[in-house]
Amino acid sequence: MKPRLAWAFALVPLVGAVELALALSARGAAPQPAAYDALEPALREVYREGDLVVVAPRWAEPHVRRALGDRYFPLAALARSDEARFERALEISVSGGRAPELAGFRQVAERSVGPFVVRTLENPSPARVVFDFVERLEPGWASVGGTEPETRCAWSERSQPMTGGLGGHPGFPARRFECPDGPYLNVSATVIADQRFMPRRCIWAHPTKRGARTIRFSGVPLGARIAGHSGMYWMIERAGAGAPVELEVRVDGELVGVERHADGEGWKPFAFELGSHAGKATSTVEFLVSASDYKDRHFCFQADTR
Amino acid sequence: MSEPADDPQSSRPSLALGPSERLRRLYALVAVALGAAVVALLLLTSDAGYARDEGFYFYAAKRYGEWFVLLVRDRGEALRRAAIDAHFVVNHEHPALAKSLFAVSHLADRRLGLFAEPGTAFRFPAMVLAGVMTAITFHWGVRARGAVTGVVAALSLIFMPRVFFHAHLACFDVPITALFVATFYAYDRTLKSSGWLWPALTGLSFGLALSTKHNSWFLPIAFAAHASLLALMAWRSRQSLRTTLRRPLAALLTMATIGPLVLFATWPWLWFDTWARLKEYASFHVNHEYYNMEFLGENYWKPPFPRGYAPLMTVATVPLVTLVAAAFGTAALGRDALRDLRAREPEVAAEHATLVLWALGVAVSYGPWLSSGTPIFGGTKHWMTAYPFLALFAGAGVERAASVIREELELVGAAGVGRVVAPACVVLALASPVFQSLAAHPWGLSAYTPIVGGAPGAASLGLNRTFWGYTTGSLTDTLNRELPPGGRVYPHDTAGASWEMLQRDGRLRKDLRAVGRADDADVALYHHELHMQGQEYQAWVAYGTVQPVVVSGLDGVPVVWAYKRRRP
Repeated sequence: MKPRLAWAFALVPLVGAVELALALSARGAAPQPAAYDALEPALREVYREGDLVVVAPRWAEPHVRRALGDRYFPLAALARSDEARFERALEISVSGGRAPELAGFRQVAERSVGPFVVRTLENPSPARVVFDFVERLEPGWASVGGTEPETRCAWSERSQPMTGGLGGHPGFPARRFECPDGPYLNVSATVIADQRFMPRRCIWAHPTKRGARTIRFSGVPLGARIAGHSGMYWMIERAGAGAPVELEVRVDGELVGVERHADGEGWKPFAFELGSHAGKATSTVEFLVSASDYKDRHFCFQADTR
Repeated sequence: MSEPADDPQSSRPSLALGPSERLRRLYALVAVALGAAVVALLLLTSDAGYARDEGFYFYAAKRYGEWFVLLVRDRGEALRRAAIDAHFVVNHEHPALAKSLFAVSHLADRRLGLFAEPGTAFRFPAMVLAGVMTAITFHWGVRARGAVTGVVAALSLIFMPRVFFHAHLACFDVPITALFVATFYAYDRTLKSSGWLWPALTGLSFGLALSTKHNSWFLPIAFAAHASLLALMAWRSRQSLRTTLRRPLAALLTMATIGPLVLFATWPWLWFDTWARLKEYASFHVNHEYYNMEFLGENYWKPPFPRGYAPLMTVATVPLVTLVAAAFGTAALGRDALRDLRAREPEVAAEHATLVLWALGVAVSYGPWLSSGTPIFGGTKHWMTAYPFLALFAGAGVERAASVIREELELVGAAGVGRVVAPACVVLALASPVFQSLAAHPWGLSAYTPIVGGAPGAASLGLNRTFWGYTTGSLTDTLNRELPPGGRVYPHDTAGASWEMLQRDGRLRKDLRAVGRADDADVALYHHELHMQGQEYQAWVAYGTVQPVVVSGLDGVPVVWAYKRRRP
């Protein structure tokens, strides 16, 4: 055997030594759970109501949520559909991670906190949300019913929360509209997992057996358009076995758009220009949800006007 | 890689380092000691929670155990179809051997109080088979290539982090790997011996493998391919085909006769409606339901599955030093075989039969994942039967590396250092696997090698973080502390029987209740899997909080966490 080639065998023990060193160092590569406790005092100084807090990489987020608590992670931000509406974001970087969704934001400050880096970022062109339909799903703004037969759904502040367990429906909160069709066909603000299993805050609006589910908002100030997303819990939608769901949007009785959601489309954006209704100080906006076959239609939509 | 002492027909000097009889006896003792040490280590580290499938097998083993008791008390009644069907209908999509062993161990523990925890009694037979697997790998390595090969192969195998984890479980994956390599070993011994002992043991081992898991269906394919390759090699070197094929055919004959008999004898479910039930069993696995598995950030749940899954996951979970050593071992032994084949050496088939066998052990184990239609939901355990052979090649690679380095040192006048080369190579080949396996325990399914950045790197790459819901076992202290008397827990992916075993062990308070939905519970657990994230979101909405009370995992990577209901 030629000497040069023979010495290649030295790679075997060499790789063993290098891998051992790497294995030892990899153990401490990511911060341990207790290290995250140092973040709260630092965040308290820079956090403003309405800021978006993002953890990069995303897998470290449970540690941060445990350490920081709910104040920094309202569901509207944590299960957002887009980042455009946020004026500021705080990026908590773990092990050098960066959040790709904040690539368009401008960094204005950076601070090291133990093994973490906290960056303050500003959105150069934030979208101004005039009215968020998901966050206003409550009496005073919203009323819910059905068209065939004509029904009304009663608001409840203290229903028993419901969850579907493995393979079941999303969580239904205690505060929800209870409909006569049964508890499963309630209307409530929930969170579903989309086609990438990302959390999406939305209005659970399962179609009714006949006619349409109606969700009416009154006294709504309008922007230039009503935009949002529609989808279903992905484990249901991916099977591709259900009927399409239609979401009609009416402003002051006039149809401004119809979104048709077919299985497999995932968390799908829609936008309807409001034309002559744009900029109104107050209006009535109705969402009508229907399907030719209502079986297993875990329909959920997010909408706002901006 | 022949064994001259067993091969009276061999007339040329062997390439193998055939040990003397005295050494062989010593090696046999070392093999037994090594196997026993592995069982002891597994018992000492038996603190992993119970995997989802273990729960199903606990229940099946209890039912089978009840039948064994009936068999002792009232044989006539036990052998009636009604009794057999009633007991063995449970989990009849898998053969009965492993579950029967779990049952016997459980019954023995109940009578004799052998184990500190009842769950360990169920797990013990699989641990013993892990010891057997290690011992056979050691013994085969020693016989084929010498002590360095045997030691490195055996310890590289058991200290693959995923193998080390699975070796703790009352499941079938390590048992089938043990019986897979045992059947290969018996077949190899058949080739190198005369008489019917080793062919009979090959048939018996095949039967036990058949009665353990369906990976065994690939054994006849491997040996038929091996016989064909030996015939080609013999033809090339102008040797008698009849002589070459006599022993492989003897082994295949016993496999065809003894194997099915053992399967039938050890699986009472087949004693009635045999053909229909065999068809049902085969159909279940040929047309297996697809489950979810994350790979590089994507969730795969139906074909086509990525063909890169098996190779990339092997690289990401088997220590790199083992893979590199195996590559060197394969290259070195393959080069020797090709050289002899080109030279038409007369004994080339006998000389390299073991090398070809090891290569086929790898090939038939990975082969199904060349198809994009083969499910990937079980992760690396699907092809675990390849690992003994990978480890044997790694052992041969380290042996050859030590030998070559020693020679090179002598050439440069550093012969004095030569004495420590082999021990140094063995230590460097094993230190990283041993460290990785022990450091990852009991988070074995979250373990990834440094080449992908360990657990944090794998999480960033989007490789599956855990499955089977066994990590409830890592939160028992929190649950015992946080919950009020009679507290209710949604254990997510942990099977009911696995939860109950934690309570029977005394690891979990007996007053705590597992419930099927988060809304019915005081605490909801979440075992992270990409496609399971909806479970976490259910807890957010039902409990009105996104703040876990505890987050636990491996090397700073969250694997399991829990939410506690807010009281109004």
